[in-house]
This record gives sequence, C-alpha cells and structure tokens, in this order.
Amino acid sequence: MLFNSFDFGLFLVIVYLLYWGLGSKRRTPQNFLLLTASYFFYGIWDWRFLGLLLASSLIDYFAAIKIESSSSKVARKSYLWLSLLWNLGVLFVFKYYGFFVDNFVGLFTDNPTANHYYFWNVIIPVGLSFYTFQTMSYSIDVYRKNIKASKSLLEFLCFVSFFPQLVAGPIERARALLPQFKKDRTFDFQNSKEGLRQILWGLFKKIVVADNVAVVVNAIYASPEDYGSLSLLYASALFFFQIYCDFSGYSDVAIGTAKLFGFKLSKNFNIPYLSRSVSEFWQRWHITLTKWFTDYVYGPIIKNTNRNYFWKTIALFISMTLIGLWHGAKWTFIAFGIFQAITISIERIPFKIKGKNFNLIMFLTKIPLALTVIYSFALIMTSCIFFRAHDIQGAFSIIKRIGSFIPSENFSLIIGWKIGFVILLILAEVFTRFKAYPLFQLEKICSKPVRWTIYYCIILLIIRFPGPKEQFIYFQF
Amino acid sequence: MQKKFITYCLLFFLPVVVVLVGFEYTTRNLPTTYAKIGALSENKKDKIEIMFLGSSQIQGGINIKYIDIPAINFASGSQHHREDFAIFKQTKDRYPELKYVVFELSYAHLEIPHNDKTFWKNAVYLKYYGVNAYERNTYFKDKLIYISNPDLFSRQLYNFYISKPVKNQFTLNEYGFNELNDTGSFKVLNYDTSKIKKNNFSIRTKELPETFKYNTFFFENMIEEATSSGLKVIIATIPTYTTYNNARNPNILRRRDSVLNKVKQTYKNVSIFNLEDDTINFKVTDFKNENHLNPKGAEKLTKMFNIFLKQEVLDD
Repeated sequence: MLFNSFDFGLFLVIVYLLYWGLGSKRRTPQNFLLLTASYFFYGIWDWRFLGLLLASSLIDYFAAIKIESSSSKVARKSYLWLSLLWNLGVLFVFKYYGFFVDNFVGLFTDNPTANHYYFWNVIIPVGLSFYTFQTMSYSIDVYRKNIKASKSLLEFLCFVSFFPQLVAGPIERARALLPQFKKDRTFDFQNSKEGLRQILWGLFKKIVVADNVAVVVNAIYASPEDYGSLSLLYASALFFFQIYCDFSGYSDVAIGTAKLFGFKLSKNFNIPYLSRSVSEFWQRWHITLTKWFTDYVYGPIIKNTNRNYFWKTIALFISMTLIGLWHGAKWTFIAFGIFQAITISIERIPFKIKGKNFNLIMFLTKIPLALTVIYSFALIMTSCIFFRAHDIQGAFSIIKRIGSFIPSENFSLIIGWKIGFVILLILAEVFTRFKAYPLFQLEKICSKPVRWTIYYCIILLIIRFPGPKEQFIYFQF
Repeated sequence: MQKKFITYCLLFFLPVVVVLVGFEYTTRNLPTTYAKIGALSENKKDKIEIMFLGSSQIQGGINIKYIDIPAINFASGSQHHREDFAIFKQTKDRYPELKYVVFELSYAHLEIPHNDKTFWKNAVYLKYYGVNAYERNTYFKDKLIYISNPDLFSRQLYNFYISKPVKNQFTLNEYGFNELNDTGSFKVLNYDTSKIKKNNFSIRTKELPETFKYNTFFFENMIEEATSSGLKVIIATIPTYTTYNNARNPNILRRRDSVLNKVKQTYKNVSIFNLEDDTINFKVTDFKNENHLNPKGAEKLTKMFNIFLKQEVLDD
C-alpha cells in the first residue's frame, strides 16, 4: 500500500475516522486501533513478515525489561547482545547473506559472476532496515540508562510498528516517539491542517517531481553508453532530485499523516541541495539516519580515543561505509559511503593560517553560498552515480564518460517542459527555507481564497501531471 | 472541532471529486479505438474467426475492413506479449468460431522487456475488453480510465472537446481503425527519400540476451497455449522502411529469425507472414514513419494478408 495510492487514501480516511471517533483522551483503544491498522498496513505487503515484525518487537521489549531489571553488568550486557544479535541477525539473513556468500565464494572461482551461490534466495521484508534500527536504538538507550524500558507491551508494539513511519522512516528514537503513545491525544485543528498540507506537499514532490524526473534518469541510465557527457551529467543531477523528492516526499507524507493522529515525527530533510559542504549535506539529508550512526557508531568509536583527526577519520570511514551498506547489499552502496567519507575527511583536514586552526568547511562558510552549493552539489551528484549505477564498473564508466566530454548528439530534455517542476520545487523550498516545509503556516501570509487556490493548483498538478508510478526508492532498504 | 475539520475537508475535496468524476465520465465518452473494439468484441462475438494481437505496428498495419472473415484487432501501441497473452487467454473462449490468432514478432520484439503489471493500459483492457492484465484481483479503481494516464487523456479531452480536433484523430471505422490518419514524419518530409534518409529516428539496437531468453520462453508458451486450444497461429511481421531495416542490429535480427525458424519447424499449426523486408510492394508513400504503415500501406498489407490467409492457411 503505497502512500501515493488510492488504497492508502481510503485506508487513511477509515483509520482517521475510527481513531477520532473513539473520542479524545481514549489512549488505550486508540493505541489498539493504531496497532491493528499498522499490522494491517504492513501485512498488505506481505503478511508472512508480520511474524518477523512481531518477533523483533517482543524480543526487544523483553530484552529491555531484563536489561533494566538486572543488577549485574554481565546480565545487562547479555540481554543487550541478545537484542543486537537478533536485529543484526535478521538484517544479515534477509539482506546481506546472499551478498556475503556470493562475494566469499567468488574469491575462489574464476568467474565470480557466473553463478549465485545463495543457499536460499529470500525477498527483503519491506522497511526491515528502518524498524530494526529503531528497535536496536531502544535497547541500547535502555542499556545506557538514557530511557526507561516500556512496561506496556501495547505501547511498545505501537512504537515499533507505527504505520506512517514503519516502512521508510523517519527512524524515530524511543525517547521521542514512545512517550507520545503513553499520553492522551486531543484533537488539534491546526495540527490536522498542517498534517494535510504536509501530505499534499509530499505527494507533489513524489508524484509530480520525482516520478517525472525518473523517466529521464531511467532512460539514460538504462544504456549510459549511448549518451554523451552532457546527457549523463543531466541524468545524474536529476537523479539527485529524484531520490531527494522521492524520499523526502515520503517523509513529508509520513510526518503529515502522523500529525493527523496527534503525533510528532522527526524532521528528516532540510533542503540538502543548499549544503555548503558534504559534511553539512549529512546534517540535512536523511537526518534521522545520520543521527543514529553518530550516536551508536561514530560517537562510541571516538569516545575512548584522544579525538584527534586520525581517530575521527577512522570512525568516519567506518560509519559512512556502514551507512552505504545500510542502503543495500551492493558494492555500489559501499562505494557511495566510502566516497562520502573521503570527501568529508578531506573537508576536515586541519591546517593553520597565521596560527589559527582552519579546515575546508570553515573556509567554505566564508565564500558565497552559490559557489559552495555548486561545489557540494558536484560532489554529491558524483556519489549519486555510485548509488544509481548497476555496478561499480558501470559507475566508473559513467564518470569517465562525463569527464571525457563526449558530445551529446542525442541530448534532449526527454520530459520537455516538465523539467520546470524541479525549478518550481527549488524556488518554493528556497524562498521558504526557514519553514518546516513550503506550505507550513500558510495562513500567516495568505488569505483563505489564496490558500485554497494554491492547494487546488497543487492537486491539479498531481492529477494532471503525474509521472509513471514508481515504487518509493527507500522502500527497498 | 473534529466536526468542523471534517466539514472543511469535505468542502475542500468535493470540487476535486466532482472534477475527477467529470474527467472520468467525459473520457469514457471519447470515441476511442478501445471503445470501438470493445463494442465489436461484444456485438460480433459469435462470428469472429480471427484475432490479431500485437503492438502499434499491427494496430496501424491491419485494417480489418479488408479481411474476408469476421475479425478483431486487439493490437495497440506499446502492447507487448504479456498483454497479448492476457487478452488472448481471457477472450478466446468468448468467440466460439475463433480459428486463427495472429501474434506479432517484430525485429526487436524479443529484446524489449515486457511492460510491468502496472502498465497503464491494464485499466483500458479491464474496462473495455473485460481482460484482467494486472495479474491480481481487481478493484473499482482499476477500471478508472482517466487516472490510468491523465496526461494522454487530458490531451485527448482537450483535443476532442475544446480545441479543433487534431485532424481526423477521432475518425474511426467500425473496427476501430483510423483510415484518415496518415500524419507522420514521412508526410512531414513530403515523402522525399533524400530527406528521409537523413531523418533521425529511434531504433532499438541494444542487445538484451537475458530479456531475449525470457521473452522467447514466454512467446513459445503463447504459441503452445494457442495451438493446444486447436487454433492456427500466424506469426506476423510488418513491413518497415529501408532506412529502418538497414539500421537493425544483425545480432538481434538473427536471434529473432532463429526463433521464427524454430517455431516453424516445431509447430505444425504455425504459419509465418513475414513482410518486414518487402521493398517491392511497399513504397515510401505507404509509410507513416520508418516502422509504421499509414492507412494506404495498411490497406495494401491487409489485402496481402487476406490472400495469404486463403492460400497458406485455409488450404490446409
């Protein structure tokens, strides 16, 4: 059930009416309804994986209680490891097993790509990487005594399976989301309006921008050897906007949907193409994932070191490689992560001018935004080539073709004037960059007729100019 | 507050729903090829003896009017074997007199990936032909025509109701064939062969061996299904212009031809109607563009097919 489907619209209306129909401050029945709806929502994709979702939730629920109640450090650690091993084990079995076995066996054969050596070939459960990371962070936080273990199984199950963010995030922390299931929700008119506006904006980004842009990207990346430098550059730049609008559009719908039920989810994107550096990009792109790796991988690695450049760089490379691998079991994703690590580590190289400590990031803050945006966008776009290419060789071949200035005899916009949707998006976001999203608190600057005209125009664009329906890219992760 | 919010939502979304219903209603009233073929399928189901399936090449290349036996042409632009097979399997039993089925196997057919299950024309097949090509249970929304391809149908609605209709776009004969639509790049170039020689056109030359394997297996299944249903199968290829023929990838062509030969040798009830390289009967003025016939070319081809049908097949 995709967010941009008729089915989801119907599902949302029914759940919404039932939820508030129960009345405000009816926390337990509302939680029970949300849990039922979330399991239904997930089961529609593949009911067989409901068991996995439930098992993950139960193991983490009981492990956290045991961690909290155990007085011995060994016992606490054991229960934490139980939780981590389960979550990482599930991830490994469903997502990485084939990749590792294939590459390991490939080391001993002449033609590693000739066969797949999987002993079994399973489909990856939707949203696996998102909910396992969410539950892992819960166990770790309880172990670190940052939060209390949830005593209510119902609330914990709701926290893990909350349908707006279950399959593609934002990756929520228990300390932010779990308490919201523990308190009464009252209907908030303004919040509901904001929810609908954010859903509308998310659908625009996904259906009008991402799906139309995907036509170009798919066409050119299907046979990059047929295209010249300009076409490949164009497709690579557009891929950035495709993936951004696809994923941030999803996040907007998720956050907006949660608002309708009285919940607040974390912001996941903050106009990443306005980053001055690659380092800043990761503070604006998939923010909840970056924070997760900062808190649970990067931070712990440098914690016991003298925090100098060398150790920070080691921690950075490990974190970014894992972020790459988090996206999927492919060398292209690993290369994507390593590329980001290399650029960030270069940006962080310390040097001294007139006795003062500097690095490239500090230098970049002093030059005009337009120039730094070009710098960071060029690097991010290059890393996106690894993200999108079918394999490493393909990625290098595309980069080589772009760098070789091969004439683009067959260059065309492909989607014609619809490329204007990207410009429309950029203008809207740049001019409202201090807001959560462009339609946020629109009543403060527009009268009702103007507002409704804007809404209807966006709806018209969604109905009239949808791109071919594409799966949300991040669902596969 | 909740009631107020719901009232606001209803008030806000009411015009959207009304507009969508209006679009859907008017789209359904467009005189489209699908509607004509759907009606033909219903009205002549007891008589139809031959069914054509394929892509735009068969759609624009076969005018049923010139076939002596009752026929129906389900071919349609971008339609691939996946849809052909769905239409064939789900309609063949409706026609008690059905004896022949025509499958298309153009030059690159076997190396073009099939459309996926969300192909927009699935809605059209379901609505007009009663064919479920979604490969899953269908619901009300699956029959909605306008939202299946808003871009295309918005243009058609505009052309039909508001602007002057693009010349003869909606003039279809009773078989859903547009006999007046000869507009194409060749006409624009005034059928000047020297200009046509320099004309840029797209042709698939990329080799996809894995797709070939899958598509060939699928295609053989189609033939198996048709022959085991007691039908005679005719595999057709449509004439293409010299510049197109010269630009074909010889490997793709060789693989396609090997499948044609194999099928011919393996199945008794299969005939091949291959006019792809016919440069004697088909002149530049018979083409709309490099790989599509215009109505004049279609008349010629259909008459030739009619003769072929009598000689090669009816004689058996």
